[in-house]
Amino acid sequence: MAGVKKRVVIVGGGAGGAILANRLPKDEFEVTVVDKQPYNWFWPWLLYIAFRGSKKPIKREIRSVLKPWVNFIQSGAGVVNLQDRYVELENGKRLDYDYLVIATGATVDYSKVPGLDKTVELFGNYHSTEENAWKVWQTINSMREGTLAIILAPGAYRCPPSPLEGVFLAEEFFRRRDLRDKVKIVYATFYPRPYPAEPMNELIEPLLKERGIEHITFYTLDQIDVEKRVAYSMEGEELKFDAAIVIPPHVGVNIKYVPDNVLDNDRFVLADKFTNRVKGFDDAFVIGDASALPVAKTGVTAHLQAGVVARLLQGEEAKNTGRTNCPFDVGYGLGTFVISDYYNPTVKYPINKVNHLFKLAFAATYWDMILYPELWDPIFEAFFEATEPAKLRPIYG
Amino acid sequence: MSQGNKILVDARGIACPGPITELVKAYRNARNGDIIEVWATDPGFEPDVKAWIQRTGNQLLELRKEPDKIVAVIKVTAKK
Repeated sequence: MAGVKKRVVIVGGGAGGAILANRLPKDEFEVTVVDKQPYNWFWPWLLYIAFRGSKKPIKREIRSVLKPWVNFIQSGAGVVNLQDRYVELENGKRLDYDYLVIATGATVDYSKVPGLDKTVELFGNYHSTEENAWKVWQTINSMREGTLAIILAPGAYRCPPSPLEGVFLAEEFFRRRDLRDKVKIVYATFYPRPYPAEPMNELIEPLLKERGIEHITFYTLDQIDVEKRVAYSMEGEELKFDAAIVIPPHVGVNIKYVPDNVLDNDRFVLADKFTNRVKGFDDAFVIGDASALPVAKTGVTAHLQAGVVARLLQGEEAKNTGRTNCPFDVGYGLGTFVISDYYNPTVKYPINKVNHLFKLAFAATYWDMILYPELWDPIFEAFFEATEPAKLRPIYG
Repeated sequence: MSQGNKILVDARGIACPGPITELVKAYRNARNGDIIEVWATDPGFEPDVKAWIQRTGNQLLELRKEPDKIVAVIKVTAKK
């Protein structure tokens, strides 16, 4: 059909937005990606800046990871009007669309925990910026003794294994520097157990014990007095520290939505868990960390959801399985994967060296995978098929 | 004590440990005296909410199984 091309506006040029843009056939769609800043970031690597001092670059120009026929506009989006189907840019210009995809990711909100802003200023974190991740590296390098607290604040956060990855890498760091007997590591979480999903916790909790890492569960962080070096739970329980690294509460980005009832209290966008359609709208989708769906905020989720939305836009049948496949670095060159879907709980996937190598291999292919989905999709599909939770569960439990 | 607000948390269809996350999010914004009612379908929610009550010292007014959901009614009492 020599019809008019459908206009697709994608707000956000991160992993999900860019993968989707590159998958839509150019003869059918006129695709425009909008992002307030020029870079596509490989956020998982903040962990290795923070705990290994890695100097590997973690950003590339969005333009360079998009197919040449995809339009890119560097501008913030002020308003997303789902009723009248347009996105209003910072300069007031309106982009009309036939289909909208919200891929704005998540941001951090320090204001939810009094004292958190000062804590980050002093010790850094590894869920926000390169600068803050470098601050964590300085923090652990300047510690010779005392207590390092790693605290998961209540709320949504990116990458389910990342709080404990930081804990394990910090332990390795101090052991390799022969300071392990002088530096105590405490992990505090609001969950009932160190790793929230029970089967994975059966591997993780013994490992924490083996490495002499303390943990406090049901610890709902309320506020931090950084001068006194004390964190308080909502019940007033005190956690004393010499340095504290907090996984901050994440929220949706600050964009005005019309209507605003598509947002939850944390500004995440409500959506259907199978199709990613924004609640109440057939022509608008939300993928990745921006959604309010009870799925892991991770690149794998964004990647797989982008695939489903690409197929739906082309008129095909497709639905999400809720599959996760989060690499989990437990230090000393060892790793596992958090694998689950809507129909199967997390698999007790064994810890080994190969899994960690997979994580590193994936990191090396990240931008190539975004730009050339036609080359990488078959490999990923084969991997996801071979590691379906329903197939793994009888083997590993 | 003044009459608290009633907060409903619908965590049906969310798998473990999602319901606890939703409870904690509501708890974060609640005040002593408020009542939080959680609806969940995940069977892991029952032991988790009992452990949460024991650990935090809030009050479990009711924990009942209905044909289509588990209902926990919690009175917030332990916030400082």
